[in-house]
Amino acid sequence: MTSDSKGEIGRRTVLKVGSGAGVAALAGCISTNSDDGDTDTPTDGGGDGTQTTDGGGGGGMSTFEIGMVDSTTGSLSAFGQRNQRGKDLALAAVNDVGVKGGELSIVVEDSQSEPQGGVSAAQKLVNQDSVPFLIGAVGSGVSLAIYESVVQGTDVVQLSQNSTGLSLTDFPGLLRMSPTGSTQSLALANIMAEDGHDSVAVTYVNNDYGQSLADAFVENWDGEIAYNNSHDQEQQSYSSVVSQMNSSGADAWLFITYQPEFATMVNEMYSSGYDAPMYGADSVSGTDVLENTPEGSMDGMKIVVPSAPVEEENYQQFVSEFEDAYDEEPTVWSAYAYDCVINAALAVQAADEFTGTALQETVREVSRPEGEQVTSYEAAHQILADGGGPSDVDYQGVSGPIDFDENGDPKGFLQILEVQNHDYVGIGFIEG
Amino acid sequence: MPLLEYLANGLIFSSIIVLGSIGLSLVYSIADFANFAHGDTMTVGAYGSFVAFGLLGGMGGSLLGLPLGFYVSLLVGMALAAAIAVLTHLAVYEPLDTDSIGLLITSIGVAFVYRASLMGIFGTDFLQYDITRSGPIPFLLDTVGVAITQRDVAIVVSAAVLVGALHFLLQRTTLGRKMRATADNPDLARVSGIRTDRVILVMWVIGSALAAAGGVFLALYSQLDPRIGFGILLVVFAAVIVGGIGSVYGAMLGGLLIGMIHELTPLLGDIGIPIGTAYAPAIAFVIMVAVLLVKPRGIAGDLT
Repeated sequence: MTSDSKGEIGRRTVLKVGSGAGVAALAGCISTNSDDGDTDTPTDGGGDGTQTTDGGGGGGMSTFEIGMVDSTTGSLSAFGQRNQRGKDLALAAVNDVGVKGGELSIVVEDSQSEPQGGVSAAQKLVNQDSVPFLIGAVGSGVSLAIYESVVQGTDVVQLSQNSTGLSLTDFPGLLRMSPTGSTQSLALANIMAEDGHDSVAVTYVNNDYGQSLADAFVENWDGEIAYNNSHDQEQQSYSSVVSQMNSSGADAWLFITYQPEFATMVNEMYSSGYDAPMYGADSVSGTDVLENTPEGSMDGMKIVVPSAPVEEENYQQFVSEFEDAYDEEPTVWSAYAYDCVINAALAVQAADEFTGTALQETVREVSRPEGEQVTSYEAAHQILADGGGPSDVDYQGVSGPIDFDENGDPKGFLQILEVQNHDYVGIGFIEG
Repeated sequence: MPLLEYLANGLIFSSIIVLGSIGLSLVYSIADFANFAHGDTMTVGAYGSFVAFGLLGGMGGSLLGLPLGFYVSLLVGMALAAAIAVLTHLAVYEPLDTDSIGLLITSIGVAFVYRASLMGIFGTDFLQYDITRSGPIPFLLDTVGVAITQRDVAIVVSAAVLVGALHFLLQRTTLGRKMRATADNPDLARVSGIRTDRVILVMWVIGSALAAAGGVFLALYSQLDPRIGFGILLVVFAAVIVGGIGSVYGAMLGGLLIGMIHELTPLLGDIGIPIGTAYAPAIAFVIMVAVLLVKPRGIAGDLT
């Protein structure tokens, strides 16, 4: 709050100085301020587009610029690329209809899947581009790092697209579109117990995501833990991890890690001839793993993944659009990114002005109950454009009902996948 | 028998580290700077051979469980990395009139350029050679209980052949003697009639080709992505320094030591010391410091 209002004063002062100093300086100020939606009236810089709210298209096309921190490179790049596709589809859907008579634009910065990269990306977006709404990030550690060092204490809205780490629940200001992983840990513990295993070897990636899921698993697991150790990301060899899990003598192995790391481990298990029953958290499944491991090396493995409401009509619509555009099936991770963009656009549409403070109030309202349930941006936009308030709309996302709770976590549900003939097959659902 | 299994893992990992560290040490001894682009040279070689293997295919026949086409593509990758390293030397390092710190920082920049180019061309997803993986060799599994694949044997044997060839070159050929002379004292070498600029080029070729081989084996062992080389570079540096920087034989010893320590870390857990395998690189560096405290110039710091 305070730091942002200082920012506003700072900008106004700069504008005054700028208009005195000359056209060149002024031009610079306008362009840094363009995200406020009123490029035509620079003296109104602090006013934040109140004009556009009632004026609609009166001032010509205004652009509402928000930011996105994504893992376009690094070990989560598979998620990042899915995210970008979901984002692009959503942005097209939004701009077909428009936002407050203007259009939404999203500046994407790369986190390199690391907290450090994520923080500098977010700093650039918040401090240089002055975005009031930030979608980000994928890895839970990255999302938290961004929240703690960039977003906390300002009124910028942060909405993580793919983080499932448990500790995000402790930060109500940090919203996320993907459900918390604690539901996954509980589900895994239940499934493994049902399958009749008594002792388990757990290995998890050495970060917030891995640690918190592993801790939640251990809490919910009644049997023996024969091995419970972390491993570092992006190591060139995990043979020592795999050898140790084998010598622990556990009945079943649980992996809480990412696709490249898991693929390496599967190959090493296969090479060593270990064939313990495998279980995994959502992040170990994906085409990258299937393509890069030998046929038959994972058969029988069970994985719990946050699932989209695959029976809903709007999800099927999303799938067919996605397939038309990219010639492959979307994953739920694309659906989360899609809903982040739609939710952000609705928050902007419903807010009185394009500031973090105003968006904080609308971002939760537009997608939670009390209000008419709608399943597309177009329908939701219609209600708001006809004079409806944020609580008159309850957007039902392609990824689920959303409905952020007081901790900023959405409702969600999980699907159990089993690897059969080197492919993932759904064998049931669990409520989240 | 977990100990034997760890030792086997260590030998395989060491083979890769040794190939990387020899090149790094050669560059240090002759060009006199720590080349941070070395890890990415490994990656360049790995991608080169990956593409070549895609074009060549298996070419019928196989050796040590790997198709012949793989060995040809290994040579292609080595040649490509050598060519790129020589070009970089001629275009960047040689014209630069700066000290070794300046060259070091420049090499970090070169590393970024290599990696960015690879990411631009191939994307950031990880890849695997289209070679079917096989399970462990049954004979070894039954007799000594150690799981080793034919692929692992191929890596160790190929590394041994390359290192042996380098040893022969250095000790038995005129070129080798010139290289050793230049590494020892470039000015004296020049006044004795050795064309040191040519020797430097040869050194780049050999160092980068070996690095490329290390990169190819690393990609074969785990997987290929644009960051594999940079990811392993610090461990390779540890190997070079523990062996005695500038010494080729030291780099071999250091590579073996660091690779072994890296893969023997689980022993700590097995005997009840609660240090997880995630800390293997840290332990490797602690051992490096310990060795340097006893032998400040590294294990073989006084040899060339």
